[in-house]
Amino acid sequence: MGLSRITSVEELHRHLYAALQLEHATIPAYLTALYSIHPGTNTEAVHILRAVAVEEMLHLTLAANILNAVGGTPDLTRPDFVPVFPTFLPDGETDFEVGLQRFSKEALATFLKIERPGHAPEGAPRTVRRPKKPGKSVLHASHTGKDAEEHFYSIGEFYDEISRSLATLHEDLSHQGRTLFVGDPARQITPEFYYSGGGELIAVTDLASAQAAIRLISEQGEGKGKAIFDYEGELSHYYRFEQLLLGRYYQTGDKAGHPTGAPIAVDWKSVYPIKANARLSDYAEGSELREAAFEFNRSYRDLLEMLTRAFTGEPRLLTAAVGDMFRIKELFLRLMRNPMDGTGTLHAAPPFEIASVTEVRK
Amino acid sequence: MSHLSSRISRTDHASASTQIYDAVIVGSGVAGSILANELGRQGFSVLVLEAGPGNDLSIAEYEASVERFYLSASKDNNSPYAVNRNAPMPRGQETVKLQPGRPNADGYIVQNGPLELDSTYTRVVGGTTRHWEGKALRLIPEDFEMRTRHGQGLDWPLKYETLKSYYAKAEAEIGVSADVEDQGYLGISFEPGYVYPMRKIPISYLDQVIGKNLDGAKVELDGETFSLVVRSTPQARNGVPHPGYDNGKGYVAPSAVSTHQDEMGQRCQGNNNCVPICPVQAKYDARRTLVKALETGRVHLLSQTVVSRVHIDSGNGRVTHIEYKAYKDLHGKEHSAGTVKARVFILAANAVENARLMLASGLPGSSGLVGRNLMDHAYLLTWALMPEIVGTMRGSQCTSGIEELRGGAFRRKQAAFRAGIHNDGWGWATGAPYTDLLALVDDQNKFGRALQRGLVDRISRQLLLDFMVEVLPDPANRITVDPDHRDQLGNMRPVLSYRLNDYTLDGVAFARQLSRRIYQRLGAEDHTTYSPQEPGWVDYQGGGFVIRGGNHWAGTHLMGSSPKNSVVDANQRSWDYPNLYLAGSGSMPSIGTANTTLTLAALCLISAGHIAKELRSAPTAAAAR
Repeated sequence: MGLSRITSVEELHRHLYAALQLEHATIPAYLTALYSIHPGTNTEAVHILRAVAVEEMLHLTLAANILNAVGGTPDLTRPDFVPVFPTFLPDGETDFEVGLQRFSKEALATFLKIERPGHAPEGAPRTVRRPKKPGKSVLHASHTGKDAEEHFYSIGEFYDEISRSLATLHEDLSHQGRTLFVGDPARQITPEFYYSGGGELIAVTDLASAQAAIRLISEQGEGKGKAIFDYEGELSHYYRFEQLLLGRYYQTGDKAGHPTGAPIAVDWKSVYPIKANARLSDYAEGSELREAAFEFNRSYRDLLEMLTRAFTGEPRLLTAAVGDMFRIKELFLRLMRNPMDGTGTLHAAPPFEIASVTEVRK
Repeated sequence: MSHLSSRISRTDHASASTQIYDAVIVGSGVAGSILANELGRQGFSVLVLEAGPGNDLSIAEYEASVERFYLSASKDNNSPYAVNRNAPMPRGQETVKLQPGRPNADGYIVQNGPLELDSTYTRVVGGTTRHWEGKALRLIPEDFEMRTRHGQGLDWPLKYETLKSYYAKAEAEIGVSADVEDQGYLGISFEPGYVYPMRKIPISYLDQVIGKNLDGAKVELDGETFSLVVRSTPQARNGVPHPGYDNGKGYVAPSAVSTHQDEMGQRCQGNNNCVPICPVQAKYDARRTLVKALETGRVHLLSQTVVSRVHIDSGNGRVTHIEYKAYKDLHGKEHSAGTVKARVFILAANAVENARLMLASGLPGSSGLVGRNLMDHAYLLTWALMPEIVGTMRGSQCTSGIEELRGGAFRRKQAAFRAGIHNDGWGWATGAPYTDLLALVDDQNKFGRALQRGLVDRISRQLLLDFMVEVLPDPANRITVDPDHRDQLGNMRPVLSYRLNDYTLDGVAFARQLSRRIYQRLGAEDHTTYSPQEPGWVDYQGGGFVIRGGNHWAGTHLMGSSPKNSVVDANQRSWDYPNLYLAGSGSMPSIGTANTTLTLAALCLISAGHIAKELRSAPTAAAAR
């Protein structure tokens, strides 16, 4: 019982929504670290962080494609969509939470935990329980009991279960002369809307394309088994981040933990000393920083609205949304360049309190 | 993610000099890189010698160039690239007003005049594509038959029809974004079912405003009526891949260059500094092709290696070897000399440098045409303020143009032209937006919100039209060398003689009149002024214009139908020396009204096929693989 098995289309929808939440939840953390780097410095780190963040956006879009394909509705504007940071991810680790912090060794340590490869040991339960923490945001896949939440052991287990259920639900429905893939194909985001060094958008219309999308999402993050490169020959996120800590690029033939490529110089000091997990309430009422932080929240909310429209039948809006994404970057930097009132040593940072933005869009 | 550093094979000067390559290519720009890639892919061993620096091909090196541009006070074409005393390059600010009879030898190019030319090129790995804007227009069919059709200029030994499929290949190689339905004008035709690799770059808001007011405007010229249209411009910049490309196989957009790990080549985001450098590598530069060449494992690259002389066996007329000087750093003159050997030698160092090298080697050609017939587009800039805010500076530098006057019967009397609509304000003409900022701060004492407002008011209505006017081959326009003018390594510098004839100036004058009519129709205030004190000033019928260069150097080793009328044949092979090729825009007998890159890329694809065939049909020990 519980979450470890998906037995209905409704549960599948719920898990896929959680997949959207999960893929999105890492983006504020990666962007915060990325933009905290002084512009023009730490070139390699900037590119690695940026490439990973962009691939998380790809994963988010792939999750939306799958959800659309099985008749669900991606809604990035639900009040619980963006977690309150720091937050647990909906996998089983209790040793870390994902927070919004400056580029640092500590931040990279967290990122490695997010992306670490992991499946439940043979024979062990595929889910774990962890105590509930009052006031903590709970991502949707978690099964909420009185005192505890149930989670998949790892992101890998989470996607394995989605993959398994896609196959069984598809088979069950086929036997009844029905189909799992009832979604409107016009809602699919097609490859022309994205490209990068790794991965392509996959329009999901059947089981094969759905499984391909799941495979891309899960392997791009953690890699496949013990390999550091995925099936596309791309270095998985975990090892990309690890390069920054080890100070060297991986190259073909390298073993995990022992990159032998060109050296990478990291300047840990060329970083804005931003306040971790900043909140709107950290800024004085009526101050310019408060106004800027609020504007950030509002703009991010607007972007999520735009993306929701793009994912629900207006894919062309993705092109227009690029301008909004630049705006987000500008607002990030506007905050991070400035010391917080009264502290002098800490700089401002975006709060990502999206649920608190209640005003109606103009 | 690719790992270039582990796949490419590197060499050094000592081992390169012991080898006989199938081909040695001088220059790593678009011509050299395409030839190296094509030959490397077909199994031939190739050595590319590049005078400039840039060997590491890393993302860090690229971004250092972006930062150098950001920090540079003068944002000229070559501002992203460090001053290099061993392989100097022309820089815009070196062009000053000439005093009659007194050459200007202060810059890299010695300017003899009578007209100053502010064109540049870039001597780094990747060549001038490291600063180009990325417009990728095809020539129109009549450009290839100027003598036959219009009684002016020269015919090519090739027709548009022959080049058509190579244009398509070149568009794939450099990654062109355009919609085929916008580009079929003035006889330009495509292979059946052709679509460009990527869809057109979305046109700017400014273009849309102009199109709304201008489309359908009639222009009379030489008895013909032309109806103007604002048309999107093909660009070698990453756009949305066309799913229908190559019969539905689609197109993978080129990625950025990095020897360490393959970062994405991003889409054009409208950063508005296409020239000189795109911060996200959305724009093609030749390093993309060069990296593919190096990945074959059969192509070697030696940068900071300036070729100084081509040696000919006087008995059989074949090139035996070339001599180079390899320098250690960009400042000191410390260098070592050496030679390299190959079965085929290809000069792909651009129209000026190819001619300079031939002449410095004492090889003016049996026709005496090496270095002559130098062409570049004559640019007339006109600028105005639009009646409303049009979002100038939002989006990339140029996304549309007016193409109708690129061809027509009038070309028997006056030059053709096209007009580019500039979304980067008056920058090219006045130095905007930096000069606007200085004026507001220094002259008007503006700061804070008022300064912000002032900038919006001044800049967001700016419109600049560049009229790219045709220049015909003129043997008196030429590159020569002079032992009195040398660079630090002792290589003779190019000496330029340049003038414009009435054919071009009549076209310029017509373009100026047309710009006035366009501005009237748009309700725009014309702010164009030209001063006789500026370099590029030409007197014309009691008035005058300032003509700017287009960096589209061409014609100095033009191709033709016989050794008497040309330097190379239709395969860019030297008529005089059978194992020598002179590749690039120097081979073009006309430049019409298209920048030269796409056409020279197509020519190099033709040459690559020919050279491969030659190498195969004359096997030697070196080729026996």
